Amino acid sequence: MYRLWYYFRETFSSIWRNLSLTMAAIFTVAISLALVGASLLVREGAERATAQFQEGVEFIVFMNADAAEDQDLAIREVLDNSPVIASYNYIDQEDAYEEFRNLFADKPDLINSVSPSVMPPSYRIVPSDPSAANVSELADQFASQPGVKEVATATEAIRQIDDFSTRVSQALLVAAVVLVAVSALLILNTVFTAIGARRQEIEVMKLVGATNWFIRIPFMLEGTIHGLLGAALAIPALFIVDKQVLAFFQESDAVPLFRGFAVPEGFVWDTSIWLLLIGGTVGMLGSAVAVTRYLDV
Amino acid sequence: MIRLENVTKVYKGDVTALREVTAEIQRGEFVFLVGQSGSGKSTFLRLLNREEVPDSGKIWVSGKDLSKLRSWSVPHFRRSMGCVFQDYKLLHKKTVFENVAFALEVIGQSRPVIRKNVPAILDLVGLTQKAERFPNQLSGGEQQRVSIARAFANRPEIMLADEPTGNLDPSTSVGIMKLLDLINRRGTTVIMATHDRSIVDSMQRRVIELDRGVVVRDESRGIYD
Repeated sequence: MYRLWYYFRETFSSIWRNLSLTMAAIFTVAISLALVGASLLVREGAERATAQFQEGVEFIVFMNADAAEDQDLAIREVLDNSPVIASYNYIDQEDAYEEFRNLFADKPDLINSVSPSVMPPSYRIVPSDPSAANVSELADQFASQPGVKEVATATEAIRQIDDFSTRVSQALLVAAVVLVAVSALLILNTVFTAIGARRQEIEVMKLVGATNWFIRIPFMLEGTIHGLLGAALAIPALFIVDKQVLAFFQESDAVPLFRGFAVPEGFVWDTSIWLLLIGGTVGMLGSAVAVTRYLDV
Repeated sequence: MIRLENVTKVYKGDVTALREVTAEIQRGEFVFLVGQSGSGKSTFLRLLNREEVPDSGKIWVSGKDLSKLRSWSVPHFRRSMGCVFQDYKLLHKKTVFENVAFALEVIGQSRPVIRKNVPAILDLVGLTQKAERFPNQLSGGEQQRVSIARAFANRPEIMLADEPTGNLDPSTSVGIMKLLDLINRRGTTVIMATHDRSIVDSMQRRVIELDRGVVVRDESRGIYD
């Protein structure tokens, strides 16, 4: 009990004595862990967005608005009889117009400029083999049929979003790893300074027979607190990324696929716990190195 | 109680601090280590509290073979020893009371024990009135008393003193010697390195003289030379 109080008192008086360096260490930890967290969120969001897509349909055969009825029937016959098509859904001109109106509800001019008669009807197709290679092969086959305007495959879009999110999360991760290393060094330095400030006390402690761990623990506690406080500061940043950045993509009309760009409920909290673990570990390791290298006990 | 057998200690750069030193010190003895600067007195003391390890030879303290002492048990070993230095090594941001209490606190003594023992020790060294002063408000002699109080706080079996009167004038030194003598009479073995001739001559205690790392004299009721 007395010992716990001793550790607590020594640790906090040391932090207080060394406040500016302590703040620098804490903020560096916060920034680097915020980046780690953001990269985890982007990665998870992208996985969700593309996963949703893969579960569903998605290659779409758009017919010409004025396609002849026999051209349409020919397509339908292929779809009905082909063993490689699992199912499909026909969107007629009225449905297409409805969807268009929903999509551009905030742009009445655009809606007024079209009517159901100019909308292309389409088949949304679920292939039995959803691999990218198979989908693009099927798409090519349909594209060459008479009456077909164009074939849109999801694979292209998926590849784009995958690419985008991979790059973003990798860039964030690289920056984060560098910064985590920097913050470990900064913690090491802060603890080193704290050790220097208490050199006389440490000498006396060794002299009267304080155990090595008794001398080490306040310093290691100090480093661990840097890491944990930094992580605590990074957690609000995670929520901001979730509520602002990911939400921005979800609400954006530019790339419809990004609407799936969300992380599940609780993921941000799980990530927060990881950040605390990483922060605490980095702080403890940084201070452990300082203690073993400079404490000489 | 303490036994050195053919102990040799060589520092980096081939400086031989002690050469084939053999000595035995009984429980409760008061021993002066004398000799010129560089004769190996400090090394002798540093070997006893295991701040240094010998290059060859064996040392036993309180029945323990120091060469077999694991590094993790060194702190516990040191609790049976008090150390006093020429420069006191006091903590200047702590009061007299706190300096003594610190020594007990960091070896895990409880607050009630500290509150009970520290005033008793300060009384022993005659500093009860100055418990709340800081070291720089004290004279050199008083600072050395604080240092002795700290070394004695844990009631050690052995007290090692390295030139404790080195910075003090003769009359103050007498007071410090009386204090060390009092501690010795309470059963603590005292080993003191010094080159203060008048102190050694007046105390008439055992004298071990070192010259360039070799024991050249060991007398049970000796004088300085």
